[in-house]
Amino acid sequence: ENAISNHIANWNMVWFGLIFWGSVFNAIAINYELTLNPMLWYACGLLLGSIAKIRGTWL
Amino acid sequence: MEGIGQVAEEFSFDKEKEIARSFSKRFQWEMMLIGVGQATIWLCLWPLVIYGYISLFVGSLIAIVCACFAYLPSHEAQHGNFSRGNPKRRWVDSFVSHYTLITLMFPHDLMRCTHMKHHAYTNNPEKDPDYDTASSKTIWGVIVATQAGITKYQSIAETYKDDKAFMKSFHKGLNVALMYRAILLVLVVMFPLEALLLWWLPSKVGVIYLSTFFSWYPHYQMDTGRYKDTKFWSHWMPRYLNHSMQLHFVHHLHPGIGHYDEPKAIEALKPFLIARKVPGAENIPDRVAHNPLIRM
Repeated sequence: ENAISNHIANWNMVWFGLIFWGSVFNAIAINYELTLNPMLWYACGLLLGSIAKIRGTWL
Repeated sequence: MEGIGQVAEEFSFDKEKEIARSFSKRFQWEMMLIGVGQATIWLCLWPLVIYGYISLFVGSLIAIVCACFAYLPSHEAQHGNFSRGNPKRRWVDSFVSHYTLITLMFPHDLMRCTHMKHHAYTNNPEKDPDYDTASSKTIWGVIVATQAGITKYQSIAETYKDDKAFMKSFHKGLNVALMYRAILLVLVVMFPLEALLLWWLPSKVGVIYLSTFFSWYPHYQMDTGRYKDTKFWSHWMPRYLNHSMQLHFVHHLHPGIGHYDEPKAIEALKPFLIARKVPGAENIPDRVAHNPLIRM
């Protein structure tokens, strides 16, 4: 007695930013042949998720 | 019951209920077909796009259409309009609802328990789970409200924390929601743009469509109480494109009436609705035919 659920409730936006938006930004960069370090795109995703967490909403 | 005042005997609540009941018996096969059909089409899009049979752009457009058709079959199931009170058929409600909601990444149990509270406390600022969208001042406000994510559900859980049956369904639904989120995060690593344009974006568009037509238009600026919490409205869009939500008020009066039986039910109930002073009832056409609900 799971009480994982606290982590998800508090950090889901950060994880979502890192994994989802990081992967999407990286895929777009590959598509347009931008030769930047992939870690940069994951950092952008992490930043987006962190801002969303601080503000409590994506918009 | 709140809102049932004095009216002439010929428009009594018992007579109204009797008429409504006659439209609450048919198996909603159209909804089942739409629900199962759109989810199956949506699932087929993945191999079709990944193997290059159709472009990602076309796949995304089809997925958005699927997402807009995803909620209503589940909504019928939430009200038991497939099983019609037959315990042996309850699995149909559950199956159709779970399956059709995949496109929207919504869990059936969470949708059902919050929707029942929406019916019980429509437009109540403290207790209506849909109040955030219904009270938005503009469509942009609706869009912003739909992006609140988990924050909204945390506040709903806080409101109903002492309701054991609600919380049981709520937690069951939350687990399914987390499973959807985990699947999306796995898919986005393997197929990033497909996950974005076949699932994430369509689900967002679907939720905005749903909140606008199912919640905001029918309930915006309405009061609380039976006959007062939902209005008849008209719109420039042909009614088959907004799921005939102009007729949503009759659903709040008699949730057992199936979606595709609502036009006939409204024709029969129109005198009752006018007698009860349902907002907009005087504008209901005598015959809800192919498309009389347009306002240019």
